[in-house]
Amino acid sequence: MKRRTLDERGQAAGFEVLPFGLLVLVLGTLLVANAWGVIDAKIAVTASAREAARVFVEAPTEREGAAAADRAAKEAIAGHGRDPERLVIERSGSFTRCGRVTFVVSYPVPTVQLPWIGGFGGSVITTKAVHSELVDPFRSGLPGSAACAP
Amino acid sequence: MRRERGSILLLMPAAVLVLLVLAAVAVDASLAFLGEREVANAAAAASNDAAGAALRDSDFYRQGRVVIDPALAEAVARRSVDARGERYLHDIHVDVETDGDRVRVIVSGRVDYLFAAAIPGAPRHADVQAAATATAERDG
Repeated sequence: MKRRTLDERGQAAGFEVLPFGLLVLVLGTLLVANAWGVIDAKIAVTASAREAARVFVEAPTEREGAAAADRAAKEAIAGHGRDPERLVIERSGSFTRCGRVTFVVSYPVPTVQLPWIGGFGGSVITTKAVHSELVDPFRSGLPGSAACAP
Repeated sequence: MRRERGSILLLMPAAVLVLLVLAAVAVDASLAFLGEREVANAAAAASNDAAGAALRDSDFYRQGRVVIDPALAEAVARRSVDARGERYLHDIHVDVETDGDRVRVIVSGRVDYLFAAAIPGAPRHADVQAAATATAERDG
């Protein structure tokens, strides 16, 4: 009779690192993806605020400038692949010669809640960009003085 | 002949960590890039404002010459940069150089890295700088 020998030796140790490695990979990837999403949105809102301010200060009237700035900001954010409807645009400053006009543009970025690490800012981080420009002191047809006080 | 059999399973967490560190470095590099873009935008806006708002009145109205006032240009440029108020940029310095009808604004600052603080020996921040030049011209 032929004798069969079964060799059941093997290595059990080391297998436990697989779930640990997977966990580190998933958590780390989500953390980096969250951070990258915020940075990408920040680049988009920076461009949006700059476009809005530039268009506004060069517009013939305040009313036309406001409409053109809104359009320019939304086109800029859409150009970065973001939803223009979620963009919040705030303007301050007067449309007069030497007037400083400031645009604050913000955009909410949803983030993923991470186990142990948690979420950031209630799972939504609002990215914000500020851009300000002076209205040309030598523009005709606008109130104000050409002498800009320091 | 030596046996080379063994388990490479133990190397997996190390490989994963290396990947994550590389991704973290990429995010931090993007943050530095964002800071560079921010100071570039600030310098461009400040030089534009200074070229328009810092003309020396006496030269312009009496002699028709376009000359930028250095003190006024510096004040206008600083106010323009201050109005931005970026929180992630700090130690901001604004240098203004004028030469007749030209103004050059140099903005420098410091950006803190997000992940590099967790890596021993890695730099904690990046210094960013940008310059922009604007020329004031008479229209017509």
